[in-house]
Amino acid sequence: MTGPRLVRPATLDAALAVLAEEPDARCLAGGATLVAMMNAGLAEPGVLVALDGIAELRGITVADDGRVRIGAMTRHRETAADMRLAGGHAVVRQAASVIANAVVRNMGTMGGSIAFFDPAADYPPALVAADAEIELASAAATRRLAAREFFVDWYTTAIEPGEMVTAIHLPPAGTQPSIYRKHARTSGDYAIASLALVLDGAGARVAVGACGPVPLRSDAAEAVLAGRLADHDAVAEAAALLAAAADPVDDVRGSADYRRRLIPRLLQAAISELLDTREAA
Amino acid sequence: MIDDRQDLLLQVNGARRRVSAEGSDTLLTVLRDQLGLTGAKRGCNQGVCGSCTVEVDGWPVRGCLSLAAACEGHEIVTIEGTGRDPVMAVLQRQFVVRGAVQCGFCTPGMLISARRLLQDQPRPDAEAVQAALSGNICRCTGYRKIIDAVLAAAEELAQ
Amino acid sequence: MTDPKGIAVGLSIPKFENQEKVLGEARYIADLQRANVLHAAILGSPVPHARIRGYDVSKALAAPGVVAVLTGDDVPDGRMGAFIKDEHALAKGKVLYVGEPVAAVAAETEAQARAACRLIEVDYDELPAVLSPEDGLAAGAPILHEHLADYVKVFDAGSGGNVASRTRFEEGDVDRAWTECDVIVEGEYTTQAQAHVAIEPCGALAEYEAGGRITLWSANQSVFRVQANVCESLNLPMTKLRCLTPRVGGGFGNKMEAHIQPIVVALALKCRRNVRMILTREEDFEIVRARHPFRIRMKTGAKKDGTLVAREIEVLLDCGAFADDSPGVLGYSLLMSPGPYRIPHRRAHGQLVYTNKLRFGAFRGFGQPQVSFAGEQQIDEIAGRLGIDPIEMRRRNMLREGDAWFVGQQVASNGLAACIDAVEKASGWRDRPKATRHGTKRRALGMSVTAHISGLLGTGAIVRVLEDGTVVLNTGATDIGQGSDTVLTQICAEALQLPVDKVSVASPDTDGSPYNWGTTASRVTYTAGRAVVGAARAVEAKLKQHASEMLECGVGDLELRAGGRVGIVGVPGAEVSFAAISGRAHWAVGGPIVGEHTLVFDQMTHDPKRAVAIGLPFARIGVFSFGAVVVEVEIDEVTGKTRVVEAWSAADVGRAINPQLVEVQLEGAFVQGMGLALFEEMVWDGPRLANPSLMDYKVPTSRDAPYAIHSIIVEAPEPDGPFGAKGAGEIGINVIPSAIANAVAAGTGHRHHHLPLTSERVLDGLIEAEAAA
Ligand code: FES
Ligand code: FES
Repeated sequence: MTGPRLVRPATLDAALAVLAEEPDARCLAGGATLVAMMNAGLAEPGVLVALDGIAELRGITVADDGRVRIGAMTRHRETAADMRLAGGHAVVRQAASVIANAVVRNMGTMGGSIAFFDPAADYPPALVAADAEIELASAAATRRLAAREFFVDWYTTAIEPGEMVTAIHLPPAGTQPSIYRKHARTSGDYAIASLALVLDGAGARVAVGACGPVPLRSDAAEAVLAGRLADHDAVAEAAALLAAAADPVDDVRGSADYRRRLIPRLLQAAISELLDTREAA
Repeated sequence: MIDDRQDLLLQVNGARRRVSAEGSDTLLTVLRDQLGLTGAKRGCNQGVCGSCTVEVDGWPVRGCLSLAAACEGHEIVTIEGTGRDPVMAVLQRQFVVRGAVQCGFCTPGMLISARRLLQDQPRPDAEAVQAALSGNICRCTGYRKIIDAVLAAAEELAQ
Repeated sequence: MTDPKGIAVGLSIPKFENQEKVLGEARYIADLQRANVLHAAILGSPVPHARIRGYDVSKALAAPGVVAVLTGDDVPDGRMGAFIKDEHALAKGKVLYVGEPVAAVAAETEAQARAACRLIEVDYDELPAVLSPEDGLAAGAPILHEHLADYVKVFDAGSGGNVASRTRFEEGDVDRAWTECDVIVEGEYTTQAQAHVAIEPCGALAEYEAGGRITLWSANQSVFRVQANVCESLNLPMTKLRCLTPRVGGGFGNKMEAHIQPIVVALALKCRRNVRMILTREEDFEIVRARHPFRIRMKTGAKKDGTLVAREIEVLLDCGAFADDSPGVLGYSLLMSPGPYRIPHRRAHGQLVYTNKLRFGAFRGFGQPQVSFAGEQQIDEIAGRLGIDPIEMRRRNMLREGDAWFVGQQVASNGLAACIDAVEKASGWRDRPKATRHGTKRRALGMSVTAHISGLLGTGAIVRVLEDGTVVLNTGATDIGQGSDTVLTQICAEALQLPVDKVSVASPDTDGSPYNWGTTASRVTYTAGRAVVGAARAVEAKLKQHASEMLECGVGDLELRAGGRVGIVGVPGAEVSFAAISGRAHWAVGGPIVGEHTLVFDQMTHDPKRAVAIGLPFARIGVFSFGAVVVEVEIDEVTGKTRVVEAWSAADVGRAINPQLVEVQLEGAFVQGMGLALFEEMVWDGPRLANPSLMDYKVPTSRDAPYAIHSIIVEAPEPDGPFGAKGAGEIGINVIPSAIANAVAAGTGHRHHHLPLTSERVLDGLIEAEAAA
């Protein structure tokens, strides 16, 4: 019960070296999830690699072409407050702003959050809808993976042993609006269901959270929506495709059945809200 | 299991404090059990209730989700260490006179969150206060008097 | 509404201990530090129902730091319980629910104690489990308490099989009355288990004294109930145990009866050392207690003009593994089930059934939020069918001054009409549409009324005049944060015409305090307040006796003067100070001045000429408070999520000794009731509690509760109450689920029969109502 040895590397390379050498090492990002699990006896890491001293993992940079890089150690508070995340990137900012509560947002980081991947968490659908890429590094290599491929299954990601999340990249986004809508029992709870919607050209990208093992995205549904966002029948058809593709479970937050019924309703509401926003702008 | 009880040097309430902690010891455990700073409470140890809220580098965080060893090199402030801050003094007075305190178990954490709010946003409205305090659960008051106390403190500080 | 003459009563004085609380200096059970203390942890049963064949504690005893292991073999066979003495200090012979403490370890550190618990081996002979009251009543159901018949019971419980208690009340001729009704509504309702979630988890610290006497600190609502429970379960003489209290981090019924105190005391006796144990949040969820799930069948009938004629209710309560306060909850909920109405024909009956779950017990409202959920919805339904405004419907039928309550007690003060008027006016009820729609949001109003009783059981107070003329008040009532130390001080100060800072309060101590049954059942202000007034009057008489000798006048010519003086009526200069009198009493004549008063409420609940009452757990219960609430809800058509936008909650508390503290009772009760109404729910996965954490069990945050909760104090003074006061702690919660359900029905057209009104249920109801329309 004495717990892990904590190492606090100053550089990414030093951190990756520890991960390469120590098979039972885990990264300590904000602690919001890992320490809670340790307190509950659900995680007993041998070595903890604290990432908070590594400057290259922090902060949000926006390139001239509109690409965004969010360092893995960027706190939810910082992401939620960064108004440069606008238009098609607003979905990520909005997701950050509804995670847990202000105190936890001072601790939690995007890298830590997605590495743990709770399918009911807020970032996964937002990043999938934003077509984000996850940057992963190990002592041997660095690679990038589309968010859709990063989230593999319930609580499972594509992170390999020795690897860690170093950054999240967002492609340039247009000025068209995006939205993240979360339905939860109480403020700060994990979602019963959530929906991230990014208008894209004449169509939209949609990802649904908490309704299956991974954020739900349907190419077929998006194809139906293309050019027909204002068409109720098209939206209904896309919604039906999404709902059919969902694989929700019953849990203390809601039944699988309810979640399936929510998907079309959330989609319709989000689309009409975004179309109103676009019109107003 | 590695026995690695180690000496840590923590900066707590403006003073350097030497403690000896195990790797899994949280900041909350060390503050309460070793430094006798029991103002921060353990209501859940899971990061939900907020009764353990303390400041690290000026930001309210969960004492129960912060590993003590990871807090070396950071500035830690607990309710006991806010005595000289005029914002906290006004908040405390308003909490007292407006009946924002019932059992008081949530109060220290609530005050830490409220202080940060008033530093960031000197004139919040009720909704902003509700948002800022939503990570601090109170089972007694129904929140109304807490919100009123924070609003009154903001008003007093603005004068 | 404060009495201008009051020097203490009626003033919103900040609670005395607020200052230490905002500084972080208040000491709760987990903050107490002692030298030479052992840390304890418990092992919970992995199975819901089993015989214990034996234990192997050798590995645990050999583990680092371990000083003692305690099992059922180590504890005496005493049994404790508020109504039925059915519970050992820890499992002995059998386990009855998942998580039930079967063994405990005391070790040098908490981590060592917890680690050693995992090394204890228990040999279980598993038995089939009873997971619902219906299962428990089934023919051939496994029996939880084979020796139920032999247990000591404090009332005529009618126990048998898995039935812990039965209660039946009847008045008028219900069966015939239905034929007189023009409209009858009928339905079955269920309510869920709610967790108390006091933010402080339960804990205890036993200090061992050479000679075997124990001083026990614990999170509690009554040091006297702690003492009784520990001594009954461990067969200890009460002289061997002194119970004290630190600050308590909230109590809503959960800290009234025992939790882990008997285990901690047993360990301290075994180790002859100080022992402390603090529960984790998960353990607190799993082993303390919770609000009862109810199954309710109710039927209410009225005439065309809205006059209520008859009501019948049948309830089935899940008791959990031990009776605890449950027989009281059954009896009380039935007693209150007609609501504050004139209904000539009424029948209420029900059963409390043991199941293999944690014990259910007292929780603010004591069964009323559950029966009100059914009853107040039926009032609205009848009003709806007859086209009568819901408030008008209640006015026509409400109980009036001088009326009797169900089964016979006369109700003295009654501020119900004023409560209804107040919420009607403040909410603008008459001029507002009851349901509106904006985009995908609907808004609707709902209302509900209630009564509550305060006054149970024995209480005392001692007022002692110190040498300098100040006084110390000792009542034995634990202040759980609601402010009773302050309120009782205000009462004492008023009675003696002293400034409040001239009165100090002694902390409850079973060695030195007069008996106080507990901080529960909305009773402290009323019962302890009466005792304080009585004790102060005794002090006043002695002060006046001295003063008459000092001033050479008759006692009848004397008056108390503000600030601690006794003077001759009409002669301003002729007076002596309390200090002068007390000095004389201490050193010259008569002896130190001490006043005391004890009481137990003396009016009978039941009038046998009027009604039948079988299995009534409270022969004498107390005085009536009244309440009314209007809520405005907003329902999201997309998800079904319901939130309360604004609320107006009025309560007749007789006299608000401290208005601010009454308000915060109403506000806190509102939000707790809102959680019960909308989303709080303990869920079992088979025999195992599926959500024993604050991640999975959600309570309202500051963002979920409305800011605009308007508390309205109504004062209909109770003739024998202290300065007219009666209870305020629970009245505000009773009405909340029913008022919210009434608002949801107004907004969606669907009547809900099952709590909580989750977004899922509300959406289903909305869709169903739309399809029907
Ligand atoms: S104890 Fe840290 S949030 Fe509850
Ligand atoms: S005052 Fe008791 S939890 Fe807030």
